Amino acid sequence: MTTSDWLTSATVMIVAGKGGVGSSTVAAATALAAARSGADVLFVAVDGRPGMGRLLGGREITDREQTLQRLSGGGRVRARTIPAEQAFGDYLELKGVGGLLRRAASSASLPMIAAATPGLEHLLVLGKIKELERERAADLIVVDAPPAGHAAPFVRSASGLSEVVRSGPVLDQAEQVSEMLGDPSRAQALLVALPEETPITELIELAADLGDDLGLALAPLVVNACWSDRPGLDKSPAMAARSHKVKLTDSAKASLESAASFGRSRLTQQREQIERLIEARDEPLITLPRLATPRLEPEHLEELADALVTPESVVRDGD
Amino acid sequence: MVEQSELILTCGPGGVGKTTTAAALGVAAAKAGRRTVVVTVDPARRLADALGLDDGAAADEPHRVEGVTDSESDGELWALMLDAEQTFDRLVREQSGSRKQAEAVLNNPVYQAISGSLSGAQEYMAVERLHQLHVSGDWDLVIVDTPPSRHAIDLLEAPDRLVGFLSHPVYRTLTVGQRTFAKITDAASSMFLWAVKRLAGPQIVEDTVAFFRSLANIEGGLRHRAKQVSELLRGDDTAFVVVSSPRAEAVGEAEHLLRAIAEKHFPLGGLVVNLIHPLPEPFTDSDEELLGQLGPGPLAEQVEWHRQLTSLALAERTELVDVERLAGDAPVIELPLLDVDIHDVPGLVGLAERLV
Repeated sequence: MTTSDWLTSATVMIVAGKGGVGSSTVAAATALAAARSGADVLFVAVDGRPGMGRLLGGREITDREQTLQRLSGGGRVRARTIPAEQAFGDYLELKGVGGLLRRAASSASLPMIAAATPGLEHLLVLGKIKELERERAADLIVVDAPPAGHAAPFVRSASGLSEVVRSGPVLDQAEQVSEMLGDPSRAQALLVALPEETPITELIELAADLGDDLGLALAPLVVNACWSDRPGLDKSPAMAARSHKVKLTDSAKASLESAASFGRSRLTQQREQIERLIEARDEPLITLPRLATPRLEPEHLEELADALVTPESVVRDGD
Repeated sequence: MVEQSELILTCGPGGVGKTTTAAALGVAAAKAGRRTVVVTVDPARRLADALGLDDGAAADEPHRVEGVTDSESDGELWALMLDAEQTFDRLVREQSGSRKQAEAVLNNPVYQAISGSLSGAQEYMAVERLHQLHVSGDWDLVIVDTPPSRHAIDLLEAPDRLVGFLSHPVYRTLTVGQRTFAKITDAASSMFLWAVKRLAGPQIVEDTVAFFRSLANIEGGLRHRAKQVSELLRGDDTAFVVVSSPRAEAVGEAEHLLRAIAEKHFPLGGLVVNLIHPLPEPFTDSDEELLGQLGPGPLAEQVEWHRQLTSLALAERTELVDVERLAGDAPVIELPLLDVDIHDVPGLVGLAERLV
């Protein structure tokens, strides 16, 4: 496998992970990596997390599509959010529904209709994404899925709704969305975790849920924020000093050890957890570096976009 | 706070260790001699195991957590996992005038579909469960870990939103009087019903109207309860604990939450900043001189790592200046990113010691 084939093997890429694992950032880096390879990319922020537009080199992302970045190779990144109300309006328009029903569906009563039809809001958003895919609105549509435990209900809304709704256009819509999600040439999911026990467990569960049960194709699994390997930390500071023919003071030893012991145990934990993921899943695995900053800037996103497609990041290829 | 409050709510962005913080506060309270129950929402599997919560309906009832206090102490820690559907069912039963009224709501397919998934239902049920436990009189302290939410503020407004739903004109028209569906002439409501019918078929319309009507029987009770819960959240014995990490996005959400808590006059108990990188001990000037001149090798790698960790730890502390100021007089507790993450009772006991 060449390292970036997976990026554009389906038109829709749904990026998902639990809250706090950086899935929005990975989604933005994926969009940037694809645009650099010449693709026309549409970044869809379902929840519209603040600051993502700036990271991608433009203004805040709104429900009006805008171009955030043009790249020298002809690729570009466009972005928009899809509010459920707007998706509903667009959907009604598409179905040729007249003014009366459209007014009935004004924002005042969508919450009521949605209350009567659970999962409808998610389905409307996925339905809009499906329309964009059908229209070939972009070479790649990157979907930053809702975080924090809501990713699975989001993707599952189509199959869940067909259990409650037995006829009408909502059912048709649900079936069409399910069809798209089940076709690996049209949609795939990029699942993100951290190299820690709980996030890895949750990634394994999410992969079983969306991949094995729902039949959504899985792109390489991404382990985000990995500490870079530092073999030098394996030694005690005094041992390490010997190969430099230097003698350390006690204070220097203590200072170095205070940092080294933390790094050592984090690296050990990381190795164990990646190993566990490799045993649990067959998908290829990509690791992304831990950025040495609490505040992301556009250059950090560039670094992640580079890492997504370099062979050094690939822990394991597909078989 | 853990010695005096009767209610504590931990809230904040996802992935910052809210559940662990809630459980550790529970350990601290139990050790201070209080009978404490922690309501978790979506615990990671190993933490749930550590608290004795396995999957299934039984987890919705309090379980004693062993190994927290010794037999001589009065304090106890109990835990349960929030089951939004069961909490909703319990609320409906309590507020219904008769068993028949309750069954009418509980058996409605629309109710069954939305009780677990209605947008905001989980947030509301978390505070509802808090109320149920608080008034039971069984507990000195109830701690509620709130559902992960990008808009954590939803929780604070959950009772008001339920009232908003019950006051919606469409809902009012559909439930007022004995008019049958065919006779509803109000324009907004008939459009609403027509829209639902066109979109999702006639069966769901009948179920929806039946659901709204059955809800009308218990509406008075629901409104009253929403008001009680809303007052309880603002009570003197309640404390909100905001949990964040030092990452800029999480800090932004925590700031938003702190402002909302202040604006809406909720009592702030404290700010916990979790997962801060440890600040290594600095080099002395003379060590700095020696270590600055190394050629490549393992020691140079260790020095480089020391510098990187130091600069990250300092940058994180800079991120925290504004949010810690927003906490005002409330205590701010900084917790380090540990060598190994917490998954068991001894780990929680250690964290509890750091918290108090």
